[in-house]
Amino acid sequence: MSALIRIRDLGREYRMGDERILALRGVTLDIHRNEYLAIMGPSGSGKSTMMNLLGCLDTPTAGEYWLNGEEVSRLTDDALARVRNREIGFVFQTFNLLPRATSLHNVELPLVYAGVRGRERRERAAAALDQVGLGHRMDHRPSELSGGQRQRVAIARALVNQPSILLADEPTGNLDSVTSDEIMRVFTQLHAGGQTVIMVTHEPDIAARTERVVVLRDGQVESDRVNRGAAA
Amino acid sequence: MPLSEALRLALQAIWTSKLRSFFTLLGILVSVAFLIVVVAIIQGMNSYVSGTLTASMIGINTFQVRRGPISVGLLDDEQVRMIAKRPLVTVEDAETVAEAVPEAIAVALQSGWPTPVAEIRFRDRTMINVTVFGITAPYQAVQDYTYLAGSPLTDQDVNGRRPVVALGHEIADKLFDNPLSAVGRRVRLDGRELTVKGVIAPKGRLLGQSFDSFVLLPFSTFEAAYGRRKTTVVSVKMPTADAIEAGMSRAEEAMRVAHRLRPGEENDFTVDKADAFVAFWKQLTSMLFTAIPAVVAIGVVVGGIVIMNIMLMTVNERTREIGLRKSLGATRADIRRQFLVEALVLTAAGGALGVLSGWALAFGVSTFTPLPARITLWSVALALAVGTGAGTLFGVYPASRASRLDPIAALRVE
Ligand SMILES: Nc1ncnc2c1ncn2[C@@H]1O[C@H](COP(=O)(O)OP(=O)(O)O)[C@@H](O)[C@H]1O
Ligand SMILES: [Mg+2]
Repeated sequence: MSALIRIRDLGREYRMGDERILALRGVTLDIHRNEYLAIMGPSGSGKSTMMNLLGCLDTPTAGEYWLNGEEVSRLTDDALARVRNREIGFVFQTFNLLPRATSLHNVELPLVYAGVRGRERRERAAAALDQVGLGHRMDHRPSELSGGQRQRVAIARALVNQPSILLADEPTGNLDSVTSDEIMRVFTQLHAGGQTVIMVTHEPDIAARTERVVVLRDGQVESDRVNRGAAA
Repeated sequence: MPLSEALRLALQAIWTSKLRSFFTLLGILVSVAFLIVVVAIIQGMNSYVSGTLTASMIGINTFQVRRGPISVGLLDDEQVRMIAKRPLVTVEDAETVAEAVPEAIAVALQSGWPTPVAEIRFRDRTMINVTVFGITAPYQAVQDYTYLAGSPLTDQDVNGRRPVVALGHEIADKLFDNPLSAVGRRVRLDGRELTVKGVIAPKGRLLGQSFDSFVLLPFSTFEAAYGRRKTTVVSVKMPTADAIEAGMSRAEEAMRVAHRLRPGEENDFTVDKADAFVAFWKQLTSMLFTAIPAVVAIGVVVGGIVIMNIMLMTVNERTREIGLRKSLGATRADIRRQFLVEALVLTAAGGALGVLSGWALAFGVSTFTPLPARITLWSVALALAVGTGAGTLFGVYPASRASRLDPIAALRVE
């Protein structure tokens, strides 16, 4: 079976005036359907840059990125928006919920841009909230929810359009250890249900729960190994 | 994103910051209201001038033979000097005209400018600022006066220089408890004793000016008291509007013969009809109508720029939201639509509120001031179109700025 994600010599260079920063320098990687993968590495090693590229929020300055058999590294702004909408579910460290909107409406957002209307939209959003155990908090606004609950709303939002991959950039970075544990159980559950999950973390015990760990250093892959301990 | 969704978002955003939204649309509101009110007043004046005012000043289907033209306001000094050299219009002139236009319903002579303003007294009651006209009997037909009580002035009154007077309704009303009881009473007009012959039915009041606050004297009685006026006027009432032109040219011809003017020599009189007055008014309002669009345009542009600035501010404040929406799959068109619809809803609301306040103001003006006002549909349509157009025009730039934001950079903004 061909890889869900196929990355070849991927590079991302930032220019700040005269200075050029090579955030990623030639990353090659295959990720398959239903993998559970952690990206680790020291601060500034290029993890977020990598996630933004994988999530089609950004385009590489070198190399190729094939997602689901389609080369997405050279797409236009609007084409990338559609790929993000259909294929990607993104979970941010800072949740990024609309503060004035209810949980339900926050989760509905990707469906709005997918053109799903009215009742179907509400039902699908409600189902996604159920899936993360927040069926009883649909009418709450983010300010009325705990950090863990907010991140669950964000996960429901990432899931609602049934994306090919779920990307999470340090999803537990803003949470205490008990809540982190709770959120990690949600990811593990989703993975068990068939979801492909890629997550950035710098906490080893979080990474230990995944099946494969890719370590970046200075924008390159330092190691890429299967995580024996978590296979069960 | 469907339009309904964009609309919902726009309403929500506007509602969330009500006060700011209101100030944002104030510029458009004021411009639109201004447009509506001014056009309403001009339109109101128009129908007033071409209808009521003309009819009451000159008479329906009537032309005049005068010393100078009706539209004195448009004359320059040179023309005024020319007119001052002309002979006065006389009783003989009126007879000349009457002979030349036999089909006329009435040919009247009336005293003109300067119209005397008199004091009238009945027993212990006095009225000042009463306008006095000296007329021949047909004038009452020219003006379509009907008498509530008593009878009109007659040729005999004029020929016999009788000390009689016909009272405008307001005068009779104020001097007598029952205006109908005025007939046969003796009143004093600037000290001269006159017998009330009739009371004229009211014509109403407009522009704060009563048309019923006057008295009529037989022409001879008037001239004996006040002397000849500088602009005595011959009024000729024709059976139909179509007959006016032919009557005017025959009157002109007869007048030239009577005044012994040589061919090529200029008239030493003016034959004019109500149109001249209406034309004078039209010229005045056309100047206003050219000034209004400029004023409104300035208002709308200023209002539009305010909207543009506020929208840019809104886009700035909501950078994170825009980044998030883009990261969830919003295309440029989605974001552009969201903010454009917001600008449009704002200006449309401004326009609608402007129409409402304009409407209310126009209503207030026509109710509480002597100015008439008439709302016209086209001014409402124009105002709304202009307001909404400005919204679109000035909403495009902020909206397209929002749509081009880079999602990652936008999400990083605090
Ligand atoms: N928008 C940007 N402009 C310039 N440099 C950037 C930008 N984003 C990231 N970088 C640089 O690229 C490198 C990798 O950053 P990042 O991918 O955020 O690392 P990580 O997430 O692993 O901490 C860092 O040196 C960072 O300073
Ligand atoms: Mg990072």
